[in-house]
Amino acid sequence: MKAVTKGDKREEMAGDAGSIPELDQKKYDADEQVKIICLGDSAVGKSKLMERFLMDEYRPQQLSTYALTLYKHTATVGNKTVVVDFWDTAGQERFQNMHPSYYHKAHACIMVFDVQRKITYKNLANWYKELREYRPEIPCCVVANKIDADLKVTQRSFNFGKKQGLPFYFVSAADGTNVVKMFREMIKRAVDYKQNPSDFMDEVMQELENFDLEKKEDNSEADEDGLKAESPELD
Amino acid sequence: MRFQAKRCGVQFNPPSIVLIYEHTETKKVRKRIIPVRNFSKYSDYSMAAERLKNHPRHRDYLEAVSQNQLEKLHIILRDHMQGRSLEQSLSSFHLDPEENLNKLDDEELARKKGRMDELFEKNRRRKDDPDFVYDFEVDFNKTTQEKCSWDEESDDGF
Repeated sequence: MKAVTKGDKREEMAGDAGSIPELDQKKYDADEQVKIICLGDSAVGKSKLMERFLMDEYRPQQLSTYALTLYKHTATVGNKTVVVDFWDTAGQERFQNMHPSYYHKAHACIMVFDVQRKITYKNLANWYKELREYRPEIPCCVVANKIDADLKVTQRSFNFGKKQGLPFYFVSAADGTNVVKMFREMIKRAVDYKQNPSDFMDEVMQELENFDLEKKEDNSEADEDGLKAESPELD
Repeated sequence: MRFQAKRCGVQFNPPSIVLIYEHTETKKVRKRIIPVRNFSKYSDYSMAAERLKNHPRHRDYLEAVSQNQLEKLHIILRDHMQGRSLEQSLSSFHLDPEENLNKLDDEELARKKGRMDELFEKNRRRKDDPDFVYDFEVDFNKTTQEKCSWDEESDDGF
């Protein structure tokens, strides 16, 4: 996927799902496909965690136009084979808000902070709030990364997410502590969530999101890329 | 190794890498000034560092100097060419745990990440390490947990 011009980008995002297969999010409706998103500040180690979990399977697909990195993984849950797409930001943290399509059809969310930097912990509240605006119901967890830097942090309790009942993991992408455990549990929860057909609210939300998404995309494209000048039909 | 690097630094005018090294056999300590050529404020610091590291006339002297350090020195040189003070330049490598890194541009962030990588590489357990366990788990729930001071100014959700 290279050199998509700005004009093309808008058209492809707006409707024609076929032209960017990586971003064809309809596939996430299929039973054997789940989408898991990663959230958290810059440099908390999101990509390093992916790399540690996937090891040899680690083949990130960069979509620089969207500041996005995708990782594909095949997992076995129960007796079923599931294809997992992990969505990671490639620096979009900087814009404070993620693009709505990042959240679209996600089945689980991994929220990461750096135990050496308090600000990344404090910012979890912002990430969580934004997540819940788009995905009120999906399973989510809190991940405290870089415990290898100072193991004493594991004697402390971090209360963010306790009220909401979010599972909490102490992990280290460097020495591997609890990384695989966390990913396996989140994949399982993503699959469980998807198989739970009683979640009517979520479908309604999805419809609303779809509706919202198209509108928002047009706006944000126009703002970010100065598309207004290039595409008069937007006005 | 014929030359043991002792210290490494930069000189702004003319732009050069300064190396203090010891001759392994004679034990004599000498200074070598390596001019950095074809390097401007627009140059790629990482390529320039690599070029220098492999330079036929200098590579023996630079054997004990890491690519990372050469990159850092080139960044300092380039910062100077761009009009940054040495103080600003050096502080850009410094990790401030209070700083919001979300606000940095790609290169600024790369400096911080480069710094963080030092610890990561030091603590890293690799696949070919003899004690490597892919799904290594530690249960921290059993350890006594004290309240985290980060939760003190309790806002929503904390």
